Amino acid sequence: MSESKANHTFALYLGCIAPNRYPGVESAAIKGCKKLGIDLVPLKGASCCPAPGAFGSIDMNVFYAMAARNLVLAEQMKTDIALVCNGCYKSIWEVNHKLKHNKDLRDGVNEVLKEIDMEFKGTINVYHLAELLYNDKFVGVSKIRDSVVTPLTGARIAVHYGCHLTKPHKDREFEKGVMLNTEHPVWMEELVAALGATPVEYRNKMQCCGAGGGVRGYDIVHSLDITNEKLINLKEVGVDALTDICPFCQLQFDRGQIEIHEKFGVDYNLPVLHFAELLGLAQGMSPQELGLDLHAISCEPFLQKVL
Amino acid sequence: MVEKKKTTTKKTETKKQEAKKVAPVKQEVKAAPAPAGQQAVAAPGATTAKDARIGVFICHCGTNIAGSMDIPAVEEYSKTIPHVAYVDNYKYMCSMPGQTIIQKAVKEHNLTGVVVAACTPRLHEPTFRTATKDAGLNPFRFEMANIRDQNSWVHMHDREGSTEKAKDAVRIAVAKAALLQDLYPKSVPVEPTAMVVGAGVGGMQAALDLAAAGIKTYLIESDMSIGGRMSQLDKTFPTLDCSQCILTPKMVDVGRSEKIELMTWSEVHEVEGYIGNFEVTVRKKARGVMTPKEAAAKGIVGGGCNGCGDCDAVCPVVKPNEFEIGMKPRKAIYINHPQVVPLIYTIDFSACVKCGLCVTACGPEKRAIDLEMKDEFVKLKVGTVILATGYDIFPIEKKEEWGYKRYENVITSLEFERLICASGPTGGHLVRPSDGQTPMRVAFVLCAGSRDNTGVGKPYCSRFCCMYSLKHAHQITEKIPGCIPYIFYMDIRSFGKMYEEFYYRIQDEGAKFIRGRVANILEDPKTKNLHVYADDTLLDRPIDMEVDLVVLAAAIQPKEDTNRTRKLFGVSCSMDGWLLEAHPKLNPCGTTTAGVFLAGVCQGPKDIPDTVAQAEGAASAASIPIHMGEVELEPYFAMCLEDKCAGCGMCVNLCPYSALSLVEKNGRTVMQVTEAKCKGCGTCGGFCPGGAIWMQHFATPQIVAQIDAFLLGGEQ
Repeated sequence: MSESKANHTFALYLGCIAPNRYPGVESAAIKGCKKLGIDLVPLKGASCCPAPGAFGSIDMNVFYAMAARNLVLAEQMKTDIALVCNGCYKSIWEVNHKLKHNKDLRDGVNEVLKEIDMEFKGTINVYHLAELLYNDKFVGVSKIRDSVVTPLTGARIAVHYGCHLTKPHKDREFEKGVMLNTEHPVWMEELVAALGATPVEYRNKMQCCGAGGGVRGYDIVHSLDITNEKLINLKEVGVDALTDICPFCQLQFDRGQIEIHEKFGVDYNLPVLHFAELLGLAQGMSPQELGLDLHAISCEPFLQKVL
Repeated sequence: MVEKKKTTTKKTETKKQEAKKVAPVKQEVKAAPAPAGQQAVAAPGATTAKDARIGVFICHCGTNIAGSMDIPAVEEYSKTIPHVAYVDNYKYMCSMPGQTIIQKAVKEHNLTGVVVAACTPRLHEPTFRTATKDAGLNPFRFEMANIRDQNSWVHMHDREGSTEKAKDAVRIAVAKAALLQDLYPKSVPVEPTAMVVGAGVGGMQAALDLAAAGIKTYLIESDMSIGGRMSQLDKTFPTLDCSQCILTPKMVDVGRSEKIELMTWSEVHEVEGYIGNFEVTVRKKARGVMTPKEAAAKGIVGGGCNGCGDCDAVCPVVKPNEFEIGMKPRKAIYINHPQVVPLIYTIDFSACVKCGLCVTACGPEKRAIDLEMKDEFVKLKVGTVILATGYDIFPIEKKEEWGYKRYENVITSLEFERLICASGPTGGHLVRPSDGQTPMRVAFVLCAGSRDNTGVGKPYCSRFCCMYSLKHAHQITEKIPGCIPYIFYMDIRSFGKMYEEFYYRIQDEGAKFIRGRVANILEDPKTKNLHVYADDTLLDRPIDMEVDLVVLAAAIQPKEDTNRTRKLFGVSCSMDGWLLEAHPKLNPCGTTTAGVFLAGVCQGPKDIPDTVAQAEGAASAASIPIHMGEVELEPYFAMCLEDKCAGCGMCVNLCPYSALSLVEKNGRTVMQVTEAKCKGCGTCGGFCPGGAIWMQHFATPQIVAQIDAFLLGGEQ
C-alpha cells in the first residue's frame, strides 16, 4: 500500500458471524473507516475463512486451500485484506504468512487451486481492523480522537482482546512494530480512551472468551464456565460495557449471557460491543444504524449513559 | 589445467623474488636465536616446491577414522600425490610410537615436510609440531589434514564418500606442505604487573592470589566499593554462611594488601598493546571526595575522607539506594552500605545540587570534599589482564505474565536477599511491599527467564537459582514459623558438593515443591494477594494457588557494557553473549587474546565456589607470563612488502587487533605491522588491493596451491 495516497483501500473480508449475527459491525466498519480515510470494498466471492478451530483441528490441507482461495480473490483485486474478526485473522493472516514463506506448502496449495484456475502468488498483506485503527501508518489514535463527535464520556469500558490476534506471540508480526506487549497489552485501552470513554482494567484480562478452538461447539458448559469467570471478573470492577474486536468473542459474551442465565441461573446484563460499533457511536451513528437492537443483551443502559 | 598450475607457480616465484628485496620489518620484539645461516624472520621464498619431499602419516584414531573410511585406499592414493616421498599409517598417530614413526621417516627418507591426516589442529597441532621439531625439521614444516572431525565423524555412514574426501584433504595438505617455510617464534618481555577488572568475589580472589604471588596488581572497580554481588547476599548455600561475614575479611585483605592498588569508582577507558605490554587508560570517575592519600598529595595534612558520615547527615538530596535495589534511601553524598571498602564517600553528581552543606560539615581539617572534581585519566602498564566483570539481572518485567513491576508483591530473588538480610532495608524482616505484612505463603518461581525458548528470556540455565531458592525456602521457614514456601520448578539442579543433601534437607523442612512452569500470575486488586497459575506436571492438573508474595528467581545476563569490554580487550563472546573462553574444557580461563584471562560469571553463569575456583585458575594463568619474564609469539603475523605498498591505509582500519599503522620510510608512506599484536587473521592480506601483505604460514602462494590441488582433483 502506498502511503502517499490520501485513502487506503482494503478488501473487507467479512467472515461469518459479523454479517449474520451483528450486521452493525459491518456497517460501522465501512462507515467509520470512511471517515478515517480508509475505503473498505467488498471481497466478492469470499467463503468461510475457514474457522481455525473447526477446520484446523480436522484437515489442514482443506484449511490452507480454503484460506488461500480467499487470499487469491484479494490478489486478483490487487488489494490488501482488512478483516474484523480474530478467528479470520488467525486463518487468513497466518495462511498468507505461511504460504509466502514455505514453498512446499505453497506448491501443494497451488496444485489444489489449479482445479479452479487460481494461483496463490503472495502479493498482498492481511490486516485486522484494530491494527489499522491503532497504527499511525494507516489511522492512529489521534486521528480517531479527531473523528469523535459524540464522546463516550463517563462510560467505563473494559476491553477483551481475544486470543488469535496476539497469539501465538512467535507467529505474529504486527506487534513487533507497534503493539509489543502480548501478555498485558494496553493499546486497545488507548483506542477506547480516544473515544472519550474510561478504559477499565480487570482481573485476567487476557483470558479466552471460552468460545474459540472449537470449545463452544464441543462442550458448551465448559465453554460458558470460562465466559462466566470473565464476567465475574468484570462485575468485580464494575463496567458499563465490554468491547471486543472479534464477533465470535462478542457472540460468546452477548448470547452467552442468555445461556449462562439458562445453565447457571446468573444474570449480568452487560452490554457487549465490537470496537467498530463503539467507534460508530462516537462518530455519531445511530444505534439503529449500528444494529445495536439486534444484540442479545440490551445496550440501552449503556446508550442512555453516553448519548 | 596443467597450464594453469604452471602460471601459478611462476607468479609465486615472482612474488617471492620481490619479497626478498623487502627491507626487514621493524624489529620491535626480540627474535629467538635462529640457527646459524638462517634469517631471523623467515623471508618469503625459503623453499620452492620443486625439491619438497613430503611424508604423509594417516591416523586411524582407533575406529574414529578407520571405522568410517578405507585407510589403505587413502594410503595408496597418497603415494601418487606429487612431492610425496613417504606414506605410513598407524592406529594412534599421536601416541609415542606414532610420533616415533614420523621422526624415523623424516630422517630415513630425508623429508622436508610432514602431513598428518588425523583430527584437528586445535587438538594435536602442538603434538605433531613437536614431533616434527624432534625429527630435526622446523616445526612449521608440519601441516594437518582434518579427516576426523570434518570427515569421518560427519560422514559416518558414507564410507566411500569419506574415503574420497580424505584423499582430497591429504592432497590439499601436501600442496601446502610443499611450500611451507621455516618460521621462528619470537619472544617479547613481560611487564611484571597485572590488572584485574571487576572487584566482585572473583576479581578480589584473583587479585589476592596475584598479590600473594608477589605481583603488583591493579584492581579496577566501577562501583564505589569492592565486594560485588556477593556483598548483597544474606547467606550462601549450602553451608548457610553469612555472605558478608565470609566476604568482608577478603575485602579488608584487598584494601590492606601492599601489592594491590585498588581503584574504585574507576573504569577502563582504553586498552593498547599486547600480552606482556598492555597500556591501559583508566578513567577515575570524579568522586567529589578525596582519600587521605589524595588529600596529602594536595598538601592537606591529615585531611581526606575518614568515613565519619558528617556529610551524609547534612545532605538534603534523597535518592533510592541502588545497593538495596531502591528499597532504602541514600543521599547525594553517600556510601551504599556500611561495609564498603574503601570507606570513602562518593558524590552522585547527577543528583548533587552543590549546596555546599557537606563541605561545611566536613570541616577545615579534613577538607575531603571537592565539588568541582573532574574525571582523571591514568595510564597503567600491565603484562596480563583478568576480566571479572560479573553479570546483570535479566529485566524480568519483560516476562509480562508474571507482573513484576506491575504487582507490588512480586519481587525478585535479589530483592528477597535484601529483605531477609539483617543489614537490609527492613532489618531482616521479610515483608510484603504492598502493606508491610509478614507473608505466610510465598511462591518461588524458578527458571524465571532462564531455560526460556520463547524468545523473551534466556535459553541457558542460570545455574544458581535452584540452590539460592532452596536457601530462601530454608530462610523463611526458619524466620517465620508457619510460613510455607511453594517452589515452582522445572528440575531442581543441585549438582554441587553437598547440594543434593541440602535439597533433601529443605524438603524435610516443609517446603512444597510443584513441578511446573508458572503460566501467569494475577493480582487480587483488593488484597494484593497473588494467584499463581501453573500446571502441576506430576499430578497432571492445573493449579490456581493464592499466595501473599511471589519471588521470581530471575535469570542473569551479560553486563550491559559487555560489548564495550569485548572491544577494549579484543575478546569474543559466545552465542549467549557471555565472554568466550579459549576452550570450554581445556582452557576455561584464557581468551583468544593472549594475556587476557576470564574469571567468574562474565564467562558464563556460575556460583561462588566455581567463581572463586576459576578466579584462582585465572590468577595462576595470568601469573605465568609474568614469572616467565617473556612470552613466545606464534610467527603467523602479516608482513608488509614495502615495495608494493601504496600506503593507502585501508588495511589499518580493517585490522580487528589494531596491529597495523602507517609510517614514513625512505620518503614513502608504508604500512607497518606490530608483530606482537598481529593475530595472523589475514583480513588485511585478503583485502590489500596491491597484494602487498604477506601472511606468514598462510601466504597467498600456499593458499593458491591448496585451491589448485583441490580443483585439479584426480588429474594430478
